[in-house]
Amino acid sequence: MIASILPSISPGTLLAGGITATAASLWLLLPSGRSGAADRTARWLGWLLGIVALASFLATGHRLGSVGEEAVFLTVALVAVISGAATVVSRSPVYAAIWFAMALAGVAGVLLVLGGQFLGVATIVVYAGAILVMFLFVLMLAQPAGLAPYDRVSNEPLLAAVAGAVLLGILSLSIGRLTAEPPSCCLMSGTKAALLAGSGSAAEPTSAAEAGIDMLADNHVARLGGELFGRHLLAVEVAGVLLLVALIGSIAIVSRGAADAAPAAARRVAP
Amino acid sequence: MMSLLPSLPTIVALVKIGLLVGGLMTAAAYLVLVERWMAAWVQDRKGPNRVGIPLTKIRLFGLGQPLADGLKIILKEDFTPKHVDKVLYVAAPLVLLAASLAIFAAIPFGSSLPPIPALGLTGEEPLLVAPGLDVGVLWVFALSSIAVYGVLLGGWASNNKYGFLGGLRSSAQLVAYEIPLGLGLLGVVLAAGSLKLDAIMNAQASSGVWYAFAQPLGFIVFLIASFAEAARLPFDLPEAEQELVGGYHTEYSGIKLLLFLVSEFLHMVTAAFLIVIMFLGGWHLWGLTGSGPVETWMVALIRFAVLSAKIFGVILFFMLVRWSWPRFRFDQLMNLAWKVMLPLGLANLVTVAAVEEFRPQLVTALGEGGAKAAAIAVPWAVFFLGWIAAGLLTPSGTDNTPIRTPGPLDAEHVLGSRPHDLLEA
Repeated sequence: MIASILPSISPGTLLAGGITATAASLWLLLPSGRSGAADRTARWLGWLLGIVALASFLATGHRLGSVGEEAVFLTVALVAVISGAATVVSRSPVYAAIWFAMALAGVAGVLLVLGGQFLGVATIVVYAGAILVMFLFVLMLAQPAGLAPYDRVSNEPLLAAVAGAVLLGILSLSIGRLTAEPPSCCLMSGTKAALLAGSGSAAEPTSAAEAGIDMLADNHVARLGGELFGRHLLAVEVAGVLLLVALIGSIAIVSRGAADAAPAAARRVAP
Repeated sequence: MMSLLPSLPTIVALVKIGLLVGGLMTAAAYLVLVERWMAAWVQDRKGPNRVGIPLTKIRLFGLGQPLADGLKIILKEDFTPKHVDKVLYVAAPLVLLAASLAIFAAIPFGSSLPPIPALGLTGEEPLLVAPGLDVGVLWVFALSSIAVYGVLLGGWASNNKYGFLGGLRSSAQLVAYEIPLGLGLLGVVLAAGSLKLDAIMNAQASSGVWYAFAQPLGFIVFLIASFAEAARLPFDLPEAEQELVGGYHTEYSGIKLLLFLVSEFLHMVTAAFLIVIMFLGGWHLWGLTGSGPVETWMVALIRFAVLSAKIFGVILFFMLVRWSWPRFRFDQLMNLAWKVMLPLGLANLVTVAAVEEFRPQLVTALGEGGAKAAAIAVPWAVFFLGWIAAGLLTPSGTDNTPIRTPGPLDAEHVLGSRPHDLLEA
């Protein structure tokens, strides 16, 4: 839509402009310890530039199947992107953790919309449900009274923003080269039909779905499991051993602490 | 391809969501009344029996009570204390309620409807909001782990030490009992070979053996863990006003408190759904519902009724337990989770895996019926062994003798056995 208003700008230029705007916006928004009024102006400018960046990204994007699909995808994608930005620029660690949880929820939503059901749900179970809850525990327990100054300001806002922009640019370049044809329309409609209509009465599968996107199939998890424990068995086993080592290490640390306190504990048992 | 009108599957899904949310909210209101009746019955009194149709003298056994209760709590002052973190204080109950409602997207509330050609539904229509979701069990698990955020944030945002400690306590409880809950789920998933809840029901219906009979240990572990996840007695530490100054919702009042309480109630309903679907056969009842596809409306209705009756029965059991058991102390609760439930859950998982692995050999050795009997007998043997082992080996911290912490002036502390203790003395 925006692309039709601005027909003269090529997608590549739009993308480059969007990435530059993102970097500038992040640089302005990152907590850098400016004084009150300057900080407020910088934040306003930062949010404004962020909106410009988002708009230019939207303008480069490919349109999806139907209005409903597009609305759902845009909602979850915007939640993911905005929460991700808010995670790094937020001043309070607890809020940063909450924004990170929102970003994970958005990413899980994108994965669900695209048909990666297991990955979407696993993102929530593993990251949002387990790791981040532990973060929150620590944050809430560790800082009951205010924040240390080194937590309130970001050390190298300019370098961080530039590094992020370079990474974003390289990623979008390589992904753009990989997908010369817009794949999103076919992927979306097939997924959505499979999600809504169930196994039996799915609408006619589109070419992308037929071409072997395994995760859209009815026995999605079974195939994923077969793949993991067939072709990637060694990687799974190695990851398991790694986790076991981490577990033993943590037990060793905890039991050394317990050994120091053992005489006290022994006394406590006596009635 | 840009069409403004929603497609038929979208409309069907929206209708199902409407039915489910409306039904759940009404059911939650009336289940509170049932709970109060149950309390009255246990305590040998009459219970709420007066509120009927407003402005008349008709009492209707007190059926107007939920409406009056709801009006009362909605009209109460929605007080926000000065010292709270406003954004998170408001967000916490919303997160909890949204998560506990979204769980139902993957939970079937019946078998399925026969085809309705008049509406364009040519296939069997499953009574489930997201029938294509292949990860139903994981979805339930993921969203129940999101519920921890509501509890933790509610406690933290209250900016009150009792509320904060209550939030930490409740979230530690939720996180700890997610593990036995997951182990109980895994046994069923392993036996059914699917993560879809409707497929799990179909597997029980077609074999005729409910998983409560085939996996007694998993059933007990899951049942106890779901009591803890729903924060029902004997795990309802947030309700302990007298001894712990309440829990994470100490600072909440009015409609926000109502949201917290409704979500806890919905957790109980979810737990009842899961127990029935995963362990008690779902819509299946021998000789009544059949086990094949749904062809007539009669079968669909009977299956829906059987499922609802079972769920109501489990909810009644939850309520009866509430008036039969004293509350756990926190260390007892944690000991139970980590030292009893976790090993028992693992034992169940290993047993189920072994039985499923050797089922073909069992069938060739004992025949079809013999294999079925052996697949039930072995888990029951493990169940009794596990029960006895848990009883004999339970850590002594779970009895009710007080743990004595030495004070600073205790002689044994001052004259301790360690050298530097002596030096300090």
